Amino acid sequence: MQSINSMTELAARDEQTWMRRIKPSLAVAAVVATIVVLAYGALTTPSFLTAFNVGVIIRAAAFVGIMAIGLTFVTISGNFFLLSVTEIAALSSIIFTFSVNQEFGFLSVLVITLGMAAILGAMQGAVIGLGGNPIVVTLAFGGVIFGCAAYFSDAQMILVNRPNPFEWLGAGLSFGIPNVTWIFIILAVIGEIALRCTTFGRRVYLNGDNRAAARAIGNRDYVIAIQVCAIAAVAGGLVGLLFSAQMSAGYINHFTGAMGASGSLTLNAIAAVMVGGTAIAGGAGSALRSALGAVFIALVDNMMVLRGYPAGPRILFVGLIILASVSAYSLLRKRAQ
Amino acid sequence: MSRLSLKSLASDPQRLLTLALFVAVYGYFTLEFPVFASLRSTFSILEGLAVIGLVTLGLTVTIIAGEIDLSVGSVAALVGVVVVQLMSVFGPVPAILLGISAGAIIGVAQGYLIARLGIQAIVLTIGSLVFFRGLSLILAGEKTVALTDFATSDFLQTRLLILSPASILVILIFVSVGIFLKFHRFGREIYAIGGARREALAAGVPVLRPMVITFAISGFCAGLAGTIVALRSGSAQPLGLQDLLLSGATAAFVGGVHVLGGRGSAIGAAIGALIIQVLTNGMNLYLAPAYVVGLVLGFLLMIVILLQLAGEQLDRLKHRRSRIASLSSQSVGPPTS
Repeated sequence: MQSINSMTELAARDEQTWMRRIKPSLAVAAVVATIVVLAYGALTTPSFLTAFNVGVIIRAAAFVGIMAIGLTFVTISGNFFLLSVTEIAALSSIIFTFSVNQEFGFLSVLVITLGMAAILGAMQGAVIGLGGNPIVVTLAFGGVIFGCAAYFSDAQMILVNRPNPFEWLGAGLSFGIPNVTWIFIILAVIGEIALRCTTFGRRVYLNGDNRAAARAIGNRDYVIAIQVCAIAAVAGGLVGLLFSAQMSAGYINHFTGAMGASGSLTLNAIAAVMVGGTAIAGGAGSALRSALGAVFIALVDNMMVLRGYPAGPRILFVGLIILASVSAYSLLRKRAQ
Repeated sequence: MSRLSLKSLASDPQRLLTLALFVAVYGYFTLEFPVFASLRSTFSILEGLAVIGLVTLGLTVTIIAGEIDLSVGSVAALVGVVVVQLMSVFGPVPAILLGISAGAIIGVAQGYLIARLGIQAIVLTIGSLVFFRGLSLILAGEKTVALTDFATSDFLQTRLLILSPASILVILIFVSVGIFLKFHRFGREIYAIGGARREALAAGVPVLRPMVITFAISGFCAGLAGTIVALRSGSAQPLGLQDLLLSGATAAFVGGVHVLGGRGSAIGAAIGALIIQVLTNGMNLYLAPAYVVGLVLGFLLMIVILLQLAGEQLDRLKHRRSRIASLSSQSVGPPTS
């Protein structure tokens, strides 16, 4: 028994040193891939590298990116994904629209919308933390949340009263860059600092890396699950709020139909997390790299649109990205063992 | 014999609860709408059951193996498109056979990759979910495809009292998968890798074979479900059938699978699917829109998960008590069982 334990320990240590060696090379590979795609696209696609199109790309990347930053916390903590983030965004879109139309102030709209998202996320985290399977739990909550959002709004598009203070946030520019992109960049930096430099962040890594060890040093994994799920849900709620502010309309199907490639914002965000090299079993990953992953996916999607590809090949590509990064990661890990 | 089965029923509170739920749901709708118990209505329930039942059966098998196949909706849609597209070229029988074997081959490939790469099915199938969505869009030429010859559609819907060729086929599949799971060695291996994978490995059960069989069954069932939907409606939507995952998962969990694997049966899957289909048909009588159905199913799934978690905690408590009891009796003399 003891020898088996020490052997698995040895393997784990081996894996860690390997991961340390692999991680930079993965990051380099991601950066190189982004640059190659950018160069190829810029050279061969007409009107790809215009200022207008760059604006389109960073705007599109912002929504997927904010969601991906939130999901990164869940994945690093070893709880896979929150499949319900798109549904939370849909509900937030409706709640945001209602509360703006009720003439609530800026701060109270923000608190109501994001607070509701946080509560829903914490509820899912509580069930997951008690031992529920994250995928099944969030599948169930997704159905309930989307049903509620559709019920409240009669599945109709509701216009947001204008003018409102959120228009500037959703559609405005600061220093020539869209405000949603500023929010995306700031959140990526905050997320990275929270993960790397705070006790909470280190606990999230430990929880995903070695749950038994985390428990032994007094980590309560259900608290971690509640915290990371609340963070991901708030990110989803923020996406719902910002997108509805940009469109000046609340609608449950904002995030399932037209947004991005794969037909669902959740799946695009998951693809961004995976292409950013976050370990699917938890314990490794970075918010900044997930953000870069979102930019990469937005770049390629934009290039395919400009080259006249319909939805099919674009969705296929997102699927390929997920499959490739999952296989690459597990192959690297196997070789490490 | 009947007394024996009654006894085993009483000793299985979960099955008792499931049957009570069925009686309650069916009884409620029959009291509310007398037409609900008519032959025609029963026929319609069984017709819907053919599709949901197949998906539930496939999901049940994957959950027994300790995994879950998230790609069932996409595979069903893809096979539906393939069958409709091939019908005009090869005629009905070869098209259907080719389509269903495509579903099974997809399953084999997924099972092989999961076992060989040693990754969790959740992660791989979320990638293939997106991938096959894109593929079916491409194969359908980005639009809904329709049949030109409806002879097969008419044959599938021939009404024999309450059965149709489609529902008879599905019943036969349920019986054979049930017998396979219960009595064949390969079927028992699926339970083994789900309930206790490490112990199974140590006992010489290979992971590859049961995993491939599991996902082959899942892909086959999803493909056949997609085929039945496409042939019955005479058309196939490349982005349709995505809500099959929520209904199938809810039915599987109501039918008694456990998220940790190793538990569940074909009979349970049939009862679970029956409850979900009765619920869906009943809500259709109220003219409930799709999102209300999703809301109710999500809520039901949530309750089942919470009940399972509570049962687990109870088991753990009992286990701890019996261990303490046996320890205290050990200090006096040899333990008596």
